[in-house]
Amino acid sequence: MAALTPYTYIQCPCSDSPTLGRPSDASSPTSPEPDEDDRTFDPRAPRSNYSLYPLEYLLYCEDCHQIRCPRCVAEEIVTYYCPNCLFEVPSSNLKSEGNRCTRSCFQCPICIGPLAVTSVETKPDPSLLAAPDNTATPHSGPYALTCSYCNWTSTEVGIKFDKPNGIHAQLAKLRNGGATRMTAKERKERRKDPAFRAAAAAAIGSREQEDLDLETQFANLKMFYQNQLAHPNSADTGLSGLGDLGFSSPTSLSRIMSLYTGGGLQDKKAKSRVGAMREALDPDEGFQLASLDESAAIAQLQAETLDDTASAAQLLDQPPNIGEEHLYGRGRFASELRPIPYLLRTKRSKRCPMCRHIISKPEAKVQTTRFRIRLIAGSYIPSIAIRPLAISSGSSASGPAVPGALLEPLKPAHYLLTFKNPIFEPVKVTLGAPSKTPGRFASKVTVLCPDFEIDANTDVWDEALRETGERDREKERRRRRGEDGNHNNNNNHNQLEVGKIWERGRNWVSIVVEVVPASLALVAGQGPLREDEDVLEIPMFVRVEWEGDAGGDEVGSAPGGDKEVREKRELAYWCVLGLGRIRQ
Amino acid sequence: MSKRHSILPPAPSGPRPPTHLSPTLTISDSAVLTGTHSITLHGETVIHPRARLDSLAGRLTVGRRCVVHERATIGAVGASGRIVEAAVTVGDYVVVEVGAVIEAGETVVGEGTVVGVGARVGAGAVVGKHCTLTPHSEIAAGEVVPDFTVVYSNGLRRTDKRGVAELKNKGLARQIDVLRRMIPSNPAKFA
Repeated sequence: MAALTPYTYIQCPCSDSPTLGRPSDASSPTSPEPDEDDRTFDPRAPRSNYSLYPLEYLLYCEDCHQIRCPRCVAEEIVTYYCPNCLFEVPSSNLKSEGNRCTRSCFQCPICIGPLAVTSVETKPDPSLLAAPDNTATPHSGPYALTCSYCNWTSTEVGIKFDKPNGIHAQLAKLRNGGATRMTAKERKERRKDPAFRAAAAAAIGSREQEDLDLETQFANLKMFYQNQLAHPNSADTGLSGLGDLGFSSPTSLSRIMSLYTGGGLQDKKAKSRVGAMREALDPDEGFQLASLDESAAIAQLQAETLDDTASAAQLLDQPPNIGEEHLYGRGRFASELRPIPYLLRTKRSKRCPMCRHIISKPEAKVQTTRFRIRLIAGSYIPSIAIRPLAISSGSSASGPAVPGALLEPLKPAHYLLTFKNPIFEPVKVTLGAPSKTPGRFASKVTVLCPDFEIDANTDVWDEALRETGERDREKERRRRRGEDGNHNNNNNHNQLEVGKIWERGRNWVSIVVEVVPASLALVAGQGPLREDEDVLEIPMFVRVEWEGDAGGDEVGSAPGGDKEVREKRELAYWCVLGLGRIRQ
Repeated sequence: MSKRHSILPPAPSGPRPPTHLSPTLTISDSAVLTGTHSITLHGETVIHPRARLDSLAGRLTVGRRCVVHERATIGAVGASGRIVEAAVTVGDYVVVEVGAVIEAGETVVGEGTVVGVGARVGAGAVVGKHCTLTPHSEIAAGEVVPDFTVVYSNGLRRTDKRGVAELKNKGLARQIDVLRRMIPSNPAKFA
């Protein structure tokens, strides 16, 4: 069984929809919600999977005073950029040129490694640190894309380039094998050419139909069906009995087309009529014969080996090619794979969905990884660290000495929870945990000190200068620990006492949690042990109170401001402490 | 700059093997040649510092114009540990990169092959000509790899159709030219 390091997950309050965005205001009278308050958060509930996050994943809105998780932030794209050349792509280009890099950035279709442009004639081996070639002119002749990892080269699929730059534009015009192909734009222009139309009309007569590319086919089909919807009576009805159900019924068709085209076709006229329409019959109407003759592919399969076929992953990585004819029978062989232009990446800023304040904003420049604004929850709410506590003096209770060791069922174990305060005000923490963990195997949980105060996160130097020596510090610590008198302190200061803080420091407090893990013995009638059901998880309600500036914006401002403008703040959330696995 | 000395005691050098070194060989002072069988290194081959050639399990032969990089091991005694006639035969124009291991036991690495960083060729494997073993790829013991094979991405195979073997050899020859000037050769130490 894999060892489990203790973890703390925090539940983002956004999963309880009523509390979303409501700033937990201590001054406002809280309406009693018995259902809401009595409910213990169950970390094993299926819904909990989606609301629990490590502290590092969470952001914090300073205006709403709420934790914000990746689910409850509104994202805005700041920049689009190519991950390979790190060039920023203006968003206006995206619409016209798609979401891939249109410079010379390509991925290998075999191994997705980056491709480099090399001259075919004087191709130096990229794995060697060879001196530049001086026997032949280095920049001449056709160029090819080569992968330095798997040694794939675009000459394998018969693609060579005349120029070493503008590869994307050159590739768009090349078919695998080196033959030129028309881009979608050129096709469109050709269709308008009257000479070509006459030739096409002649071709239709001789049953030799032109292959349509996907874009043209869709445009033709769309035009055809729009005409059909406008004049449904012209169709010779054949299957009118099926009414609304068939593919050929106008209502279902207009519904489908509105999905794709944005609902411009739902005119009342077509809706009212029920009748069948005829289907497309020729290429001008978007009709395309499926080439079901696969003998060529079968012959190629027989001639080649399995290694020459493309894998599913390779096919998935291929960009959709709307300038290509049709999909039938394509992309079975590695020789049909094309270099993949890099998908663009984005930088996103994050906003609070309620107050629209930006809580995370990266630097717009692609090359910098810094953030202009980044309000991470870790600098606002206390972090919780879990450590098993081995008690030497206690005979009955002992925790696992090694972190990650299995918990013995029905044997009390102790864990040290260290709360660290990141803000510059002292905070008051109140913990609430159910005495028995939810789930089929209820372990007993006792938080020995559920109510304590953590000092402010003051300057480290203040602390160091105030306490001159190690002895003074130790004395101070003892004084703090023994809050109601210091008797009994000298004999055994590692004693567990209810209501006592275990240890405290400048801005942190350790408390002890005692758990009695449940036995995982299955009672008859119960199902088998489910996945991770042996992990001891404690739901814990954390309520943090502090006094902040009333301005609302600067939680982390220096203390000692005007006493009048200070107001009480409260933040409450559920978290889950994963302590370890129970021995089966 | 003062020379750095390791605080560890020098590794116990094994028995000195009988060697047949070409006069055009470039072999660093700190390369390690050990074992009991003969080690033959052909002309214009470059052995980097701290490369290790171990002939304990049988005879080692390295062809012409090869480059054996740092910490590469040729003739590592594999799991079997048996002694054979020809432990490792490395063809011409072979590059054994940093940290790569070629196990002993009638292992053959064909001409023009590149054994990538940290790659491992098992005992008795026969790697064909002009193959490329990408970094950290492994060839199992006794496996036969056909010519022009590229082993990549955790053992996937494909055939190199670039047809640049000649160019690669030329490039390697130029690289060796540079290396000969960079690496002080001391074949006398191993003779």
